[in-house]
Amino acid sequence: MDFRKNISPGAWLILAIILFLSDVSTAQKIVRYDLYVRDTTVNFSGKEKRAIAVNGHIPMPTLTFTEGDTAEIYVHNELDEATGLHWHGLFLPNKYDGVPFLTQMPIKPHTTHLYRFAIIQNGTHWYHSHFGLQEQIGMYGSMILNKKKEPDISTVPIVLSEWTDLKPENVHRMLHNASDWFAIRKGTTQSYSEAIRQGYFKTKLANEWKRMNAMDVSDVYYEKFLINGKNESQLPQFKPGEKVRLRISNGGASTYFWLKYAGGKMTVVANDGNDVEPVEVDRLIIAVSETYDVVVTIPEVTPGAKPVSYEFLVTSEDRTKSASLFLGDGVKQLASPMPRLKYFEGMKMMNGMMKMNGDLYDMGMNMSLNKMDMNLVMYPEITGAIKEKSSEKVAQKPKTGKMDGMEMDDKKQSADAGHMDHNMYNSNALSSITTLNYAMLKSTLNTSLPKAASVKELRFVLTGNMNRYVWSLDNKVISETDKILIKKGENVRMVIYNNSMMRHPMHLHGHDFRVLNGQGENAPLKNVIDIMPMETDTLEFAATESGDWFFHCHILYHMMSGMGRIFSYENSPANPEIPNTKLAQRKLYADDRQPHFMAENDIATNGNDGQAMLQNTRWSIGTEWRLGYNEHHGYETETHFGRYIGKMQWLMPFIGFDWRYRKMGMDEVETNLFGQRNTKDQRSVFSAGVNYTLPMLVMAQAEVFSDGNVRFQLERMDIPVSKRLRMTLMVNTDKEYMAAIRYIFTRYVGATAHYDSDMGFGVGLTLNY
Amino acid sequence: MKSIKVLMAIVLLLSSFLLQAEIKNVVTENVTISGSCALCKTGIENAAFQKNISQASWDKDTKIATITYDNRKTSIDVILKKIALAGYDNKNYLAPDDAFARLEECCKYERLGKKEVIAEKMTAEHRHGSEMASAEKTVTADTDPLKAVLDAYFSVKNALVSSDGSAASVNATNLVKAIKAVKMEELGTAQHMVWMKVMKDLDLDADRISKTKDIAQQRERFTVLSDNMYNLIKNAKPVQPVYYQHCPMANDGKGANWLSQIPTIQNPYYGAQMLSCGKTTETIK
Repeated sequence: MDFRKNISPGAWLILAIILFLSDVSTAQKIVRYDLYVRDTTVNFSGKEKRAIAVNGHIPMPTLTFTEGDTAEIYVHNELDEATGLHWHGLFLPNKYDGVPFLTQMPIKPHTTHLYRFAIIQNGTHWYHSHFGLQEQIGMYGSMILNKKKEPDISTVPIVLSEWTDLKPENVHRMLHNASDWFAIRKGTTQSYSEAIRQGYFKTKLANEWKRMNAMDVSDVYYEKFLINGKNESQLPQFKPGEKVRLRISNGGASTYFWLKYAGGKMTVVANDGNDVEPVEVDRLIIAVSETYDVVVTIPEVTPGAKPVSYEFLVTSEDRTKSASLFLGDGVKQLASPMPRLKYFEGMKMMNGMMKMNGDLYDMGMNMSLNKMDMNLVMYPEITGAIKEKSSEKVAQKPKTGKMDGMEMDDKKQSADAGHMDHNMYNSNALSSITTLNYAMLKSTLNTSLPKAASVKELRFVLTGNMNRYVWSLDNKVISETDKILIKKGENVRMVIYNNSMMRHPMHLHGHDFRVLNGQGENAPLKNVIDIMPMETDTLEFAATESGDWFFHCHILYHMMSGMGRIFSYENSPANPEIPNTKLAQRKLYADDRQPHFMAENDIATNGNDGQAMLQNTRWSIGTEWRLGYNEHHGYETETHFGRYIGKMQWLMPFIGFDWRYRKMGMDEVETNLFGQRNTKDQRSVFSAGVNYTLPMLVMAQAEVFSDGNVRFQLERMDIPVSKRLRMTLMVNTDKEYMAAIRYIFTRYVGATAHYDSDMGFGVGLTLNY
Repeated sequence: MKSIKVLMAIVLLLSSFLLQAEIKNVVTENVTISGSCALCKTGIENAAFQKNISQASWDKDTKIATITYDNRKTSIDVILKKIALAGYDNKNYLAPDDAFARLEECCKYERLGKKEVIAEKMTAEHRHGSEMASAEKTVTADTDPLKAVLDAYFSVKNALVSSDGSAASVNATNLVKAIKAVKMEELGTAQHMVWMKVMKDLDLDADRISKTKDIAQQRERFTVLSDNMYNLIKNAKPVQPVYYQHCPMANDGKGANWLSQIPTIQNPYYGAQMLSCGKTTETIK
């Protein structure tokens, strides 16, 4: 109040004029959307399941704005749980970025939250829930930001997604428990009997020697894939000869999609909302959360002929299923479906790339930008159809010499191997099918960053452990790291190497980064980059904002496992949406700290045994029990509490407690291999020990008990004998041994036959969760 | 006797009932499906068959398939899609082009919607063919002094494309002969100058290729040979267009060039391993 006296009336007038003018210049159109988030029941697969719909729709309604508008989006949360919406790819004030516990508190049930921001860019974007796993069950939609003057061409917003009948929480839990139920549903178990039948026994053996389970290009089995919420649909309004621009967003939680068009080549004109020089391709893969603008042409028909509609075919990367959109009216011209993957070729490739210590070795190929796709050894359309079943020794090896050249153990590499290393995974060189890769994207603009700014260089290694479903950066999950501080005004350069076995679509909130892809000043701008195993990509962006911005893998289940970092601008003003930063941070970290529960019980003729475990990124507490039906067989439980060590988590020291009771004959005593005596009749001891995963996935366990006894044990669980048959073997120095074979009926039910040195032979019903 | 007849009747009735019962909620439809021979019949019927759910019987002459299906488990649209994916056009779906291409020769029926495209291609080919013929005529009339060298070079290249070391050696011997046979006085002045410059190297490299059957060595020599050939031919205005092509990966990643008489890439440095690696960088005509 005191200043006012110091300011002259003239100054007041000037100030008023300035305010008035600025008000006029920013008097943009306000575009308001009201989004009512509600529980709903859907039936995509023949079964009624819970989903979340916005304004009664899945996907959420397409939000359309024009550059210069002000968006006012009222989110009315009518769920009984919290939510939060993230505007993917948008430049906006940090507090509207929509990441619960990072940029705002979650929108509480039955409350309304306003997102209000200026639209300062154009392009194809999308929006989705960033709360929990809601994105999996319907909370995704297109967000189209038009230029003030858009080219005159028919445009269709398209959001791709997937549907699972399982609750996403359960999907997440199953992934963490290395359930192979998804593989069984997909038909990708890669069991020993399948390996032998197709002549890949040695490959399978080498794979398990390197401590790998069955390989796949995606983790989750989905019942349906959807284009704008439908598996199959038609847009009959398009006429022959017409060009149509598809503005495609991949709203899938964990699925990459191949895009193909039956009416000829597709012209890619934009990526992640940024225009690129048009490039013609036969197909492209769209990573989770990426967007592409693609122009297709409905071919002309000869005068008098009936019109034809053309299939836009969207196939999941694992090629189990697809979704179709037919453009135009009339009889439907199909695109040719993508042939099934040759998984054992992929396994062979993996064996070649995997070092014994779990690191990947690229054989000096310096891969980047999706130019080389190691998976193409599995693509029949590029590397030939699957070999005829032959149980004989693969005699015709020289014929496929090209592919064998990469096998690491294959020492006799030809003189040409040097060349092949550089080309054999380049699908555009190997075939006439043109597949888009990032090196082909060239921005229509000069995207260079301010030259004067200082450069902060950050290096990340993407790390992961498929068996335990731990995904991280530099082997640390979000909750184990501090925020990465950046300064407004500097340029941030990121060099990212993927040392994990899966590809990761890394997404940066609130910024576009340049992908250094050899296009110089015209490096394309993106906000998601897919990094395949062994690839290194370099990205850079100008730090122009303030606040906290998430940088994470956009595969929902990887993100929830902690695969990300937070970029935090130094000296940012406090975010009014986060009143209690400590609490918010704890809640944010809770995502990847969450323990996952599994349990298994076998009700057999000779006893009842089972186990239950609670595990998170690093810790594990588990208990096993064997309950006989009489005192001779005894009752015992073993409880272990341990921590996984190292990147591959093969080592787990633990402490434990054992209790057993058994009524044998009078004074009956057992001795172990070391001559130590043990009555087992009534024993309750503490223990300390260590688990170590050996090659062939054999778990070695050494344990010392508080009564001085020592036990060493080898166990191999769940050897995939055939598609649904699993074998378990165990032996230890207490002269105990066990062999079991289990047939998997359903996700939760199986039948087991086992022989156990304590309890004898038994058959039973296995329930697992 | 009578009772046996009754029994037989009952059995017959029952069996027909049981056979019928394989597919429940039966719907039968007659649909026209494109095809041309007995192999098509098998193809169509296999595509439509799903145990206890659907089956079809296709008549070669009328082109009509009688499709029987369980309308609770599937639909005519789903079945027709499967048939189209196997390569057979029908009222709802047109087969993908590659599925059609995979059909047996006898089964390549005339495609309705596609007729024009195919016809167009045919005429294009014809035109191309006649052009080639006339071009050859002019060549023989003209007797381009370098034609023999170029042709010999192309045959070396083709041998390398098929990774045939001994053929490359033989063809290179012919190339040496062709080089020796060139009558310098028939060359234009500019041409003459270039020829003087590259003749020795051409001769040497061709000779080296002819002296070995090791394809790797031959290819190494071929990179240099091709560069010299390019220098020779680039201003020579050959009668037929010559395509100057480049593969960035050959020659240990340094890249290498070659000349070709066809625009399609057929890589002499890798052959079948990477037949189509490369691109045309210049068309000399």
